[in-house]
Amino acid sequence: MLINTVLMFLRELLPLFLLLATLLVWHRSQWRRFILLFSLPAILMLTLFSSNMLWISEQLDGFGLELLYSLLYTGCFALLCVAAAKRNAAMVLSAFACACLLSINGSNLLLYIWLPTQGNTDPSALLLGMALGVGIGSSIAVLWYYLLTELKQWRMLSYRLLLSLLGVRQLMMASALLIQSDWLPSGPRLWQTEQWLPEQSELGFFLQALLGYEATPVLSQGLIYIAGLGLLLWCSRNLKNNIRSAQ
Amino acid sequence: MRSLRRYLVTVLIALFTLISFLAALQSYRQSASRAEALFDQDLQVLASSLAQQYQAGSQQELGLALQVWQNNQLVYRSPLAPETPMAETEGFTEHNFAGKRWRVFRQTPTALLTVIVAQPLQQRQQLADEVITASIYPVVLSLPLQALLIWLVVSKALSPIKRFSAQLASKKANDLTAVELEQVPAELDQMLKTTNLLFARLADAFEREKRFASDVAHELRTPLSVLQVNLHNASQQWQQSGMADSQDSMLALQAGVERMSALIEQIMLLNRTNPEHFQARTEQLDLAGLCRQVVADWYPQIEKKQQQIELLGLEHLSLKGDAFALRLLVSNLVGNASKYTQAGGAIQLELMTQAGKAVLVVQDNGPGIPPEEYSRVFDRFYRVGGDRHQSGTLGSGLGLAIVRDIANLHQGQVRLGAADSVSGLKVTVELPL
Repeated sequence: MLINTVLMFLRELLPLFLLLATLLVWHRSQWRRFILLFSLPAILMLTLFSSNMLWISEQLDGFGLELLYSLLYTGCFALLCVAAAKRNAAMVLSAFACACLLSINGSNLLLYIWLPTQGNTDPSALLLGMALGVGIGSSIAVLWYYLLTELKQWRMLSYRLLLSLLGVRQLMMASALLIQSDWLPSGPRLWQTEQWLPEQSELGFFLQALLGYEATPVLSQGLIYIAGLGLLLWCSRNLKNNIRSAQ
Repeated sequence: MRSLRRYLVTVLIALFTLISFLAALQSYRQSASRAEALFDQDLQVLASSLAQQYQAGSQQELGLALQVWQNNQLVYRSPLAPETPMAETEGFTEHNFAGKRWRVFRQTPTALLTVIVAQPLQQRQQLADEVITASIYPVVLSLPLQALLIWLVVSKALSPIKRFSAQLASKKANDLTAVELEQVPAELDQMLKTTNLLFARLADAFEREKRFASDVAHELRTPLSVLQVNLHNASQQWQQSGMADSQDSMLALQAGVERMSALIEQIMLLNRTNPEHFQARTEQLDLAGLCRQVVADWYPQIEKKQQQIELLGLEHLSLKGDAFALRLLVSNLVGNASKYTQAGGAIQLELMTQAGKAVLVVQDNGPGIPPEEYSRVFDRFYRVGGDRHQSGTLGSGLGLAIVRDIANLHQGQVRLGAADSVSGLKVTVELPL
């Protein structure tokens, strides 16, 4: 169905596009090198995971895929932390962080497109849904890129904060998967906002992609979120100098 | 922003895509919702029709008219259906009955059974409109949003050009420094570089011109002074040696040299007071005191021509201005009045304030200037009547040009008019206090 395809593409592509746009602002002067560094490992990991999806999902009592994804999300966060702190390898580490995210979201999209149930779906609806999803996601990313370009120039702190929110969002996704696999204790529910802002709405998707919005977060997620945000903000304390020296 | 074109193209495309796609998505959702309601309504009608078959005599309003004919006998009809066949031909047709226009569908599945269903056209139209409106509404609503965003993006993109033109507009006449902008887009960069290059060349040209005029005048002044001294000596020697016949030629020669000296002096002063070069040092000064000093300076010549001069009006008039320039202004006006007024004539200076301005009026009872010449006498090197001025006085034609330049420097103005006496010139200078 058209609407499902649009929502699926938005959910998977928006976080990736937002992270890519944010990091492109950072590595603006060497964007071609950044794209190259990001594309090669991304394609490699995507091919590897999507071709072995079935085998991976059967591992660890059926939680193999969730654990792999949570590892990749955590890796993405860790790489961003180190990239923000170390000026020498910032570009390579940032590109690898993006590659981790692409391998997760790309695998999900490929799985959706090639699902056996899609055989009954009208291909034109699938294509139109893909076009709408990619169009909306990439448009938001372009606008996001120009907004951050302005912010980076005049308000570096805002840029740092948005980068940190995007980074800690990956940790939030990892924690959700770990809780789902019972590898992480959940604890009591912190709040319930599903009525006012559903995760499946457009704004819900955007906030989820930007800062890991959860309508019903639990205590462990809240603690991880605060700790992760603090860590990334601390790691990026010299980001302004790092960006200047890179340029 | 590295390139205006790239910025505008990418951001506008992104905006159009985002808003159009979101509007399309919303249209899809709303149309799907309406269509679903429509299908639900059909289900309701079908259920009600079936229910009526088992409840004889029910008059429930269905919105549809239904007839079932068997062997040309009406075996069932809904409350809205007439007792005659609603349509005679198979398929879709349109007919009038019960005061409405109906869309009718007739089907005869077997030779003995005929089913005729009709729906009011108005109701069909209304349902279709609901679905179409639901799909168009988001697109129409998105237009003002698109217009607002386009305005914002274009304003943002053109802001470097606005800053550039604002900097150019705020430049003073003598400011030829380079324009500096941050984050210059590629399209503006070349224009900025060319403009700054032009400013640099203009500054060089002005500096060369200024130096040249000043140097020439300065270099000519020294040999002229020597020439004047030698002429004076030669004139005395000729008188002592009894060559009195050549005295007229000698006097003419001396007058010519004096005129040239005065001209060079005025050129140097004009150069100094040119608004493009002059760096005014404004200070609080007393214009009345300044006028008294000028009168004292000119008094020997005025006395020599047995002219009367008087200073009327305020004894103190404080204003902000450049002392050197204002002294030159008054000096030129008094000097002109003395030069062009006949021996025994009268000159009058009057100081007053009027509408928040200092006003200096200098008038004489000399030959004056014809009103049609008023606008031209401020031109450089312009002399009324050329060298055949009726006063016989030789001038440079620069005095009033200097006066106007100085008045302009002080955001003031100069006006010419007829003197209050029978003849003569009246010069009014207004300066802001």
